[in-house]
Amino acid sequence: MLAKNTQTKALHWLGKQLFNRNDPAAFFDPLLEKLDPMLVQGHTPARVEQIIQETSDTRTFVLKPAKRWSGFQAGQHVNICVGTDGIQRSRTFSLSSSPELWTQQGVVTLTIKRLPGGLVTNWLHDNLSCGAVIGLGDAFGDFLLPEPPQPVLFIAGGSGITPVLSHLETMAARDFRAPVSLLYFVRTYQDIIAAKRLKTLENCYSALTVNIIATHQNNEPRYLNNQDLESVPGLKARQVFLCGPMGLMDLANELLPQHGVRKADIQSTFFSAATPPVNPDLANQTLGGEVRFAKSSLEASSEGDASLLEIAEASGLAPRHGCRMGICHQCSCRKTSGTVINRLTGQASEPGEENVQLCISIPHGPVSIDV
Amino acid sequence: MKQMTANQLQELEQDLNTIRDEVVSDLGERDARYIRRVVRLHRALEVGGRVMMPFGFIPPVFAAATLSLGLSKIIENMEIGHNVMHGQYDWMNDSSLHSQTYEWDTACASDSWRRTHNYEHHTYTNIIGKDRDYGYALLRLSNDEKWQPAHSLQFLNYIVLSVFFQWGVGLHELEFERVRSGEIRLRDKLPFLRDLARKGGRQAFKDYVFFPLITFPVAPIVLAGNLGANLIRNLWSSTVIFCGHFTEDAETFNEKDCVNESKGHWYLRQLTGSSNFTGKKWVHLLSGHLSYQVEHHVFPDLPAHRYPEISQKVQAVCKKHGIRYNTGSFSHQYGTVLKRILAYSLPDRMRVKLTSQPA
Repeated sequence: MLAKNTQTKALHWLGKQLFNRNDPAAFFDPLLEKLDPMLVQGHTPARVEQIIQETSDTRTFVLKPAKRWSGFQAGQHVNICVGTDGIQRSRTFSLSSSPELWTQQGVVTLTIKRLPGGLVTNWLHDNLSCGAVIGLGDAFGDFLLPEPPQPVLFIAGGSGITPVLSHLETMAARDFRAPVSLLYFVRTYQDIIAAKRLKTLENCYSALTVNIIATHQNNEPRYLNNQDLESVPGLKARQVFLCGPMGLMDLANELLPQHGVRKADIQSTFFSAATPPVNPDLANQTLGGEVRFAKSSLEASSEGDASLLEIAEASGLAPRHGCRMGICHQCSCRKTSGTVINRLTGQASEPGEENVQLCISIPHGPVSIDV
Repeated sequence: MKQMTANQLQELEQDLNTIRDEVVSDLGERDARYIRRVVRLHRALEVGGRVMMPFGFIPPVFAAATLSLGLSKIIENMEIGHNVMHGQYDWMNDSSLHSQTYEWDTACASDSWRRTHNYEHHTYTNIIGKDRDYGYALLRLSNDEKWQPAHSLQFLNYIVLSVFFQWGVGLHELEFERVRSGEIRLRDKLPFLRDLARKGGRQAFKDYVFFPLITFPVAPIVLAGNLGANLIRNLWSSTVIFCGHFTEDAETFNEKDCVNESKGHWYLRQLTGSSNFTGKKWVHLLSGHLSYQVEHHVFPDLPAHRYPEISQKVQAVCKKHGIRYNTGSFSHQYGTVLKRILAYSLPDRMRVKLTSQPA
């Protein structure tokens, strides 16, 4: 083991000398990609094996990652990377299958709903076909099952069912010995994602009770209420997992403590909606926001049209920079979250992780930067 | 330098911004496909060159291997490295093509290049005393600098600089002339020298130690081929770069004229201080499209393969504002560069008499 490690270390060092890069194995990727995209070393490639239409706007993509992929725990997310319009776009999705499926058959699933106006989700639905290869990151997230087993309640809404599917499949595969309830909110009964899988799970895994509630089947919306929670036996002793739209999560966080559930027993994972489109006219925009400089653990608030570079300098930081007019790219940095406006064009950036030029980027709401 | 009023400069700025905005809004798949194809070509040429080199005891194979490796270095330095480091492909969000992390296949460390080239040279283009790329503190190329007897040998300096161009570029940030004059201390340049030693050492190790050693019985052939490939790259890149700013009519500027300049004035300086040369598609590829130096200086962070397309529009803007668009055939432009190096090696009185034209 150690010998192998030193060997790869020495090889890595040599690769750096020869190819001038920290990931020398990726040097040959442009050629390998043409031969077989699964040979690529720069990221973990995953081939689309099968696509399942779950509802009118939701599909499950069955992926076979390269063997070196590091695996995951039920309830975790992954970043996937796809190239659209020449741009590498990375987005986070929950895995919807069990780790058992990965270890036994080498496949994982992502269940993805089209977001209105969503660049990547719509691209995946419209363009990704069987045999295509996408990039897959390492799994992360702590929306994990209790160990040892304890009674569990899942409250899921819409596509928030995806990490819960992974949990339920895993619990059934491991014969998780504790009562498990699912309250699953959908708009109408046509919108149930993975209806068949849920039915099968309920039949073969006796500890599971599934209650599917349609919120907009009738004229009067019908949201999570006290009766729903009272129908769950032994609610106080349960670990509660929330995943869904903000409205549902807020409501659950308000009602659950009234039924004696401790805050510490509630776990939630968020799904933020896409940011609304921004008016390109700078003058009409509400500019500024909280800026977090992650590497120096500093925060600053800004108003008006101060650039990220100016905000950083006012906070006592000295990021690398050059021309201060958007030419030289010396100040290009990683933005990890938030939206910025380009001072020269008035265009808003994407909300996700990407590179921005500090000297011409103005925060538009909260922004996090790797400085 | 052409004099323009503030209003004219503002109009120039708007005209050029319009060209820029059109390209930026159109960036996409086509540009990504182009640069990926060039990267693939580079990898194929480098792998091909390295694999063929040990069989260089067969003369035509030696020529093919050396040429292949030389071309791979030229394409990597000019069309990939230089352009990627300008941030031309940052919008692709591809970590292997990102301006701030890219490290190129030459002795100069990328961080040093980004400081001296992207920032100093592109911000202070052709301002004598601020743009150290103007003559590289080695050559006298305008009468802003006083003639000294040492300048009479500067043509030899130029030859030596071209042959060892990657090391000259690597040493650029040392600012040796300022260290010698006592203006700055050598001690302050130690971090830079450390980086240069690491990067230059790495390059020398690869081409002059590692690859010859692993092909031991034919080591001298591999060493000779690698030296040849580096020489081809050095001569070509030096020639292309000299054609960019040192041609006959490329203008120079005074520091005091550029204090608090507007963006329009900056644009004007880029237009009049740079020069193009014409050629076939492959010439533009091998020069990293610095054959469109004017377009490159006006829009340094637009993907370079777009320069031929926007050249017509830039020329139209120049015509509208009465600005000279400096272009010509490669041999003509390079001829004027050589003439300039020779002319300014002479004392001013003799130069004026011989060339009968003022600076």
